[in-house]
Amino acid sequence: MRRLIENRFGMLALVLIALGAVYGVAFVSRPAPAAPVKAEPVRAPIAAVSTVCPDPGGATVTAVTPPNAGGAGQTLIEDGDEPVTVEEPGKLWQKTMAAGTDPMRVHATGAMATGLEAAQTRRALTGAARGLAGVRCVDPGADVWFVGPGPAAGDLKLHLANVESAPADVALVVYSGEGQVIADRASGMLLKPGEHRVVDLKKVAPSPLVMALNVSTGRGRVAAAVEAATSEGVDWLPQTTRPAKRVVVPGLPGSAGRRELYVAAPGESDAVVNVKAVLKDGSYALENRETVEVPAGSVATLDLSTGVTGQPAAIVLTSEIPVVAGLKMVGTGSRTDVAFTAGAPSIDLGSVVADARSTKDVTSRLILSAPDAAADVTVTLLPREGKAPKPIEVAIPAARTKEIILKGPAKGFSVVVTPKTGSGPVYGGRVMEERAPGGQLVTAQPLAVARTWTLVPPVAEEPSAVFAQPS
Amino acid sequence: MHSVTAIVVAHDGSRWLRDTLRAVLAQTRPVDRGVGVDNGSRDGSRDLLGEAFGKHSVVQMPRGSGFAEAVHEVVRRLPKAPGDTEWIWLIHDDCAPDARALEFLLHAADEYPETAVLGPKLRDWLDRKLLLEVGVTVARSGRRETGLEAREYDQGQHDAEPRGVRDVLAVSSAGMLIRRDVWDEIGGLDARLPLFRDDLDFCWRTRAAGHRVLAVTSAVAWHAEASSKRRRRIAASDDHPRRLARRYSLFVLMANLPFWTMLWSLLRNTVGSLIRTVLFLVAKQPAHAVDELAAIGSVLFHPLRLRRARKARKASRAGYQLVKPMFSPPSLAFRRAWEMVQNQLSGGGPMDSAGRHHAVQQPGAEEGDELLNDDDGFLRRAFASPGVRLFVLLTAVALAAERELLTGGLLGGGALVPVAGGASDLWAFYIGEQAPPYVAVLAVLSTITFGKTWLAVSILLLGCVPLSGLSAYLATKSFVTYRPARVWMAATYALLPVATGVVASGRIGSAVVFILLPVYASLATKVLADTRKPARRAAWGLGLLLAVGTAFAPILYVFVAVLGLLAAVSFGGVRRGVGGNLLIALGAPLILLGPWLATIVQDPMRILREAGLPMTSSPRLAPEALLTLNPGGPGAPPIWATAGLLAVALGALLLRRHQFIVAVGWGVAIVGVLAATVVSRMSTWPGVPLAFAATGLLVSTALAAHRVAEFRKAGGFRKAGAFLIVLVAFATPVAAATLWIMDRADGPLRRDVRSPLPAIAEAQSKPGEGTLLIRTADAGLTYTVLRGRIPVIGESERAAYGSDFTDAVAGLASGRGGSDAAELAGRGIAFVSVPAPIDPALRRALDSEPTMARVTLTDRAGLWRMTGTVTPERPPAGASWHRWWLYGQGALVVIVLILAAPGARTAEPEVVEEIPADRERVAV
Repeated sequence: MRRLIENRFGMLALVLIALGAVYGVAFVSRPAPAAPVKAEPVRAPIAAVSTVCPDPGGATVTAVTPPNAGGAGQTLIEDGDEPVTVEEPGKLWQKTMAAGTDPMRVHATGAMATGLEAAQTRRALTGAARGLAGVRCVDPGADVWFVGPGPAAGDLKLHLANVESAPADVALVVYSGEGQVIADRASGMLLKPGEHRVVDLKKVAPSPLVMALNVSTGRGRVAAAVEAATSEGVDWLPQTTRPAKRVVVPGLPGSAGRRELYVAAPGESDAVVNVKAVLKDGSYALENRETVEVPAGSVATLDLSTGVTGQPAAIVLTSEIPVVAGLKMVGTGSRTDVAFTAGAPSIDLGSVVADARSTKDVTSRLILSAPDAAADVTVTLLPREGKAPKPIEVAIPAARTKEIILKGPAKGFSVVVTPKTGSGPVYGGRVMEERAPGGQLVTAQPLAVARTWTLVPPVAEEPSAVFAQPS
Repeated sequence: MHSVTAIVVAHDGSRWLRDTLRAVLAQTRPVDRGVGVDNGSRDGSRDLLGEAFGKHSVVQMPRGSGFAEAVHEVVRRLPKAPGDTEWIWLIHDDCAPDARALEFLLHAADEYPETAVLGPKLRDWLDRKLLLEVGVTVARSGRRETGLEAREYDQGQHDAEPRGVRDVLAVSSAGMLIRRDVWDEIGGLDARLPLFRDDLDFCWRTRAAGHRVLAVTSAVAWHAEASSKRRRRIAASDDHPRRLARRYSLFVLMANLPFWTMLWSLLRNTVGSLIRTVLFLVAKQPAHAVDELAAIGSVLFHPLRLRRARKARKASRAGYQLVKPMFSPPSLAFRRAWEMVQNQLSGGGPMDSAGRHHAVQQPGAEEGDELLNDDDGFLRRAFASPGVRLFVLLTAVALAAERELLTGGLLGGGALVPVAGGASDLWAFYIGEQAPPYVAVLAVLSTITFGKTWLAVSILLLGCVPLSGLSAYLATKSFVTYRPARVWMAATYALLPVATGVVASGRIGSAVVFILLPVYASLATKVLADTRKPARRAAWGLGLLLAVGTAFAPILYVFVAVLGLLAAVSFGGVRRGVGGNLLIALGAPLILLGPWLATIVQDPMRILREAGLPMTSSPRLAPEALLTLNPGGPGAPPIWATAGLLAVALGALLLRRHQFIVAVGWGVAIVGVLAATVVSRMSTWPGVPLAFAATGLLVSTALAAHRVAEFRKAGGFRKAGAFLIVLVAFATPVAAATLWIMDRADGPLRRDVRSPLPAIAEAQSKPGEGTLLIRTADAGLTYTVLRGRIPVIGESERAAYGSDFTDAVAGLASGRGGSDAAELAGRGIAFVSVPAPIDPALRRALDSEPTMARVTLTDRAGLWRMTGTVTPERPPAGASWHRWWLYGQGALVVIVLILAAPGARTAEPEVVEEIPADRERVAV
């Protein structure tokens, strides 16, 4: 030892050995590269839902909360002066309202809110409003889109209701086949809390034959719905998804009749939209209608009758430019009725359709598409009266569409569609057809995400949130 | 006919006496009689006097005698010279008159027969052209005024025309020529003023009696001012010459002024003294403060002594009107203030009273070569120092590397909250809530930087490199004597990967510790190695600075504590008091930071955190990075950047004579790297321990570095080796600087941080209302709450809002409805702000929340407002003891400051004057 220290190189050697030891310690203690833990969003039951049936007068309003494990809660249905409360999940509340009823607010809290669904369906056999016209009662929102025929094709009414406690100022943007319509009366509409209003779209933009309508609020929220009464029939336009580069328009039934697709590109650029149909036996591009060119700010129409009529389908649109899309289907018969479907989200968290019927004359079809990957769903019926039938398991192969004819009690029922875990994205729609003298009555509704669950994102308190993330 | 008796008074002045005597005896107008007085010298002055004047002409006085006493003794014994005008020529032992001085003096006396006292022009003993005085006067504060600029050179600019004489209030007693009859008439120098101001007092009385006092500018004498400059110990009094000078100047003023004027002057000087005392305390010169108080006190509390003196000067007061015009004009006070500022800037004492004569200069200011520094421009003086040059160079490097960070919006990013608010916000935060103590430090600094927090933070953070370089250079002054090594060490330290990492990631805590680390090393060395009192003071200083550093980065304390314990074990038995001093140094932070440390003890993981936003670091830092002192993370250079330093430090192990010290340095480095490994594996940035390691390496290597100079002198292949070593050593700082400039210092730290709080929310928030800021991150959402403004530094460390609040935020973001929004409103949230990119799901959720209304939504940000009732959150009620604790903390800081302040009065080494070989003494 002493010789080592006395040697000129002894100290150097000792230090180098020590450094080697330190290196070893650092090397051994170095943890393996940990994959970044990505916290998944947690599903949480929705605790409060407020929805508005835009024009229940003369229509049958259905409200339902599917059975759940949840605890207490109640649904408050503002039926005129006597609000109705429902506190039992799984029970269907249905009532045909007197004509001229104001928009109805259905508000649920607690367990009754998880999955609350409400819809209104009006049936008329005569008159200008002949037909089946159904609409899912709408959530107040700040930015909604509708795609369908324009005011020149018929009588289009925009129902606006502000059920919030804050005023809402509403602006409308109309896109026609020729481009965006500059309208004086499109903005500056102020709805006080509790106020509702019907806007004749003819007065906003009289000329469009087809239109895409964007209802947005500068502040506050509004419940918006569009009722279309054209020469081909009446129905409500469902809300469509916001402009996106991939739009799925689900719910084309396997019945006969004309199908017309509307695609709008509300942005600044022209869009070339690829059109594909997801059918019973596969997913195809339609012959000669592989693409549709949509000039910027305008709406393009594409007749899909040959190719999809007669078979259940979903239309998948892809484009480099965000688009919105809707689809008109016309019933058969000398006096036709129309129904509309529109771009819809996948129902990963399940979906509920409040109103479906199955009688001798009325057929309810559930059309489910799995454009990307195979999907398994459970379909449960909630009858208005009587015992619930056994749930149906449906397997949809990838890139296929399946149609299920819903057989349920004649008094009406609700439908709960629940994808199983691990299944691919499912899109769907429900179509109700009624054989009637003179021609078929029809209404359609794309499946919306049920208000059962919501994804609670992982949230962390992080003082460094004051900074933008490093890009 | 004149008869001149030269009286040379000596007191331990043999160093100058030989020259003085030679000069006196070589006068062109020889003195008639020469008498020496020896005030008990111990250095052979007596023999020198005897050789010059003959043994019988030397009077022996006791050691404690004053100058006046000595002269009185001689004059008493001196027989009258009949028939002649008799003169007494007072010569200090350190005052050599020019050969023709006496001739000129007498010539002036002939010209102006009413003259009673004459004095030569005094120049500096060493710097032969430097003017000391051409007659003096007195300010109303009792200050002795020469009327000269600092370090003025004699180019005849003060030579009076036409006859070479000036009427002055007084002349110095060094070289003073006095008519003996006037001496007898006035009573001579007052023996109660043994050392200072006796000349002023005497001349005042002479003037008041109607005689003239002349400064003769043609006569020159060189004066060393040995007593006042503390080149020798004075025996006439035990007090510090500064205190004596101050006391006697007040005393002379009070004794000679008429009664009412005196009362006014007394009042004025008392107030003035108190102000000066406070200023001295602020300037951390408590010794000066004590002197100031003691001086005014000794005048105030001895009224009898003053009365006696005034009684004896009855006659002189009658002639006050003759004296009054000779006082210095009041405008001089302003000039003094300016001189003080200048002095401060050039690194002198901040309150140094730069008087030429008896006002004492800082001992440090006169060391070594600076004594002979002959350029007077303060800029040139400042830039001559290698430390200043290094600082300027490092500043330039830092500015070049931080070019993106210098201007723009808010400075922030990484660990640094966007710096907003001012000193008052920081103070309010610190006083109002239980804020971390570093907020107080930043508040103090912000107050100094005119209340601008961003300036203080920029200086600390962006100036981290030059400041740490400067602190490394200055702090090692006492133990690294080889200056090039010091420069190398400071530059390398300042540009360590830790420093660039600190800047890039905005870690202000590590920045402060990094700047202070060399100071810790220096103070710790003093604690371990110095004599008792300086060691004790260093211990207090170390304790205080350690508290500051610990407040910024608590992990520091752990290291220092471990090293302190090691030191206590190894030095405890060797030196007395080391244990106690280490206890002070390590205990002071515990006491100063008390309650805050208690909160850390409750949550020990917080010890790894530093000031600012929590910022984790990868636990996978490569072992080779740790060994090359590279902490990783943003701003870290490639690992080879420090290779030169390591190579030199390893090479230093081969120097046999320094092997031990270098090995100790390596020991510190290895311990530091080990600690860095541990810390790094806990996902903490290992900057502080690596800085420790680097300090150990650098100091030990720098201590051995003078061997390079020896190699260079040795020539041959050793010279080449030395060159190579220097090349390798300087490669590290040069490479680091180059890389830093090339890579730029904008890591997460940026200058263009946008205010996270939307202007609407800021304008419309009522007190107690907050804005919830939700941001989409990689893994979900992150949120923070802004209380009506951008959080000031330190606010982010407040108690978190808790899991209930987080759940409510998650619920709100999920859009599940329910009472989440109401719950948030109940916690004072009035706005929800979502900066881009806005997650559509989040936007939908917020849009669909019934109790919230959208205020704005653009591509860049969205803002929602709660429409329901918002319950403003009350500020957390500060515990009742909190305020008392703050008072206590403030008081403790003051006490520690005073204990740590350098007391100048004890153990000051006498400055040994070296006569430079290259300066020829002027032959006399």
